[in-house]
Amino acid sequence: MLATRPNPRSWLLLAPALLFVLAFFLAPVTALLLESFKVDGVWGLGQFTRFFQDELNREVYVRTLRIATAATVLSAVVCYPAAQAIVRLPGKYRGLMTAIIILPLMVNPIARTYAWLVLLGRTGMVNDVITGLGLSQEPLRLLYTEGAVFIGLLQLMMPLMLTSLVSALENLPGDVQSAARSLGANAWQVFWRVTLPLTREGLVVGGTLVFTGCVTAYVTAALLGGPRVLLLETLLYQKVNVGSDYVAASVIAVVLLVTTLLANQLLRVIGRARGQA
Amino acid sequence: MKASRGNLLMLALVLIFLLGPFLVVFLSAFSSGETLAFPPPGYSWRWIGFVFTVAAFQSSFVVSLGVAVIATLLSLLLGIPVAYALSRYRVPGAELIRTALTTPLIIPGIVVGLGLLRYFITLYNVPVYTGLIVGHTALLIPYAVRVVSASLGNLRVDIEDAAYTLGATRLQVFGRVVLPNIRGAVISASILAFITSFNQVPVSLFLTGPGVSTLPIQMLSYMEYTFDPSIAALSTVLVVFTMLIVLGAERLLGITRYV
Repeated sequence: MLATRPNPRSWLLLAPALLFVLAFFLAPVTALLLESFKVDGVWGLGQFTRFFQDELNREVYVRTLRIATAATVLSAVVCYPAAQAIVRLPGKYRGLMTAIIILPLMVNPIARTYAWLVLLGRTGMVNDVITGLGLSQEPLRLLYTEGAVFIGLLQLMMPLMLTSLVSALENLPGDVQSAARSLGANAWQVFWRVTLPLTREGLVVGGTLVFTGCVTAYVTAALLGGPRVLLLETLLYQKVNVGSDYVAASVIAVVLLVTTLLANQLLRVIGRARGQA
Repeated sequence: MKASRGNLLMLALVLIFLLGPFLVVFLSAFSSGETLAFPPPGYSWRWIGFVFTVAAFQSSFVVSLGVAVIATLLSLLLGIPVAYALSRYRVPGAELIRTALTTPLIIPGIVVGLGLLRYFITLYNVPVYTGLIVGHTALLIPYAVRVVSASLGNLRVDIEDAAYTLGATRLQVFGRVVLPNIRGAVISASILAFITSFNQVPVSLFLTGPGVSTLPIQMLSYMEYTFDPSIAALSTVLVVFTMLIVLGAERLLGITRYV
């Protein structure tokens, strides 16, 4: 009875949160985003063409997409077998394993990225090994490279893929995998024809989280990429703090948003397409 | 089906990749050396002790704690009624409301911070502290709504109807029937919200000001000029701090579940 009755009082419960989000979130963010659609006070897309005409900006954009895509794909490839292993562990270990994976997500991103500064620095362990083995005379510059940002983001975002795949695999109906095996499918066929199609929703969720996370992670890009290897987020910060170029910042904000929304949509479509095949 | 050897090997590699960095940070935190090196030249508590004496860390810790606690409470105060209304009443445009309230999760934090800075804080001369609380609260509302909604969905409406029939007022029903039943979800939402705010960087980036900074932002600016083991030490202290909160709450939940 209670649930089906439209009640004017319900607006009293909704209004405070809605007004708060409207006033302190939607309004300022919309105002910021709209700035990029104006050129000298006239509506238009001129700021975007100007932004993408700059080679540095294009480079940053392509790099951001490249790193985020690579991290998403690699984390999926690595996490499928790992998640499968977790799901098949005996009960008590499975709980422990889930806790171990979730714990890093609760930790400050600076703490989670810091280790790579230690390991990849000029006097870090990786360089010690490289020079020790005689692979290079001089310590290599490993920090402030695209590789460093990629490794850092992969480590930061992998738990999101892993937890999504674990819960998808846990919900896999009964013994479909063993059934496929006993009917003569090999391990690869079981994965490709049974496991993947039945867990693709988890894959889409995990992929969305990892991709969005990579595109919008500030700390890792700032610490491991520095001003040399800029991503969209660090470029935005630089435009504001170094150049006070608010229009460029607003353009980047729109680009960030559109990119994540498009990527999410694309992943959803891919997820569905595989289902129909 | 048992886990195959290949899968277990991959799991081991993933765990090393995910957790190894923490080991590096822990060991560096207990370094006895002046500068950051791994493995450290020797072990001591000096840097752990040192981070507690840095005034900038002390003051920004207090700011972070204050902002996280207030933003968490505000987000629950605003979010729980929404979760209740959406799960118990037929609200026209419910989907739209849900979408509007979850946008803070979709918009990159740095955009939120910049938007607030330009169109709220500088416009109305808002104090830094207020700006941080407002930004963080907007970000946390979706967590509160989502976690509490899930719990309310599992709670049968009959018991509320029963309480009404027996003469309870709306507030009594909420306080005596609904709230005790969703306590677990409220605690989970608070932990999630607290940690999200306490660790927040992108939203705070443009919102901190002269003299008022959050701990993560303070750590970032410290790292620009100094390369000693103190950030490793502080990271270790923070990991222990977060673990205590999570374990403490888990414990609390575990106890309340049996009471």
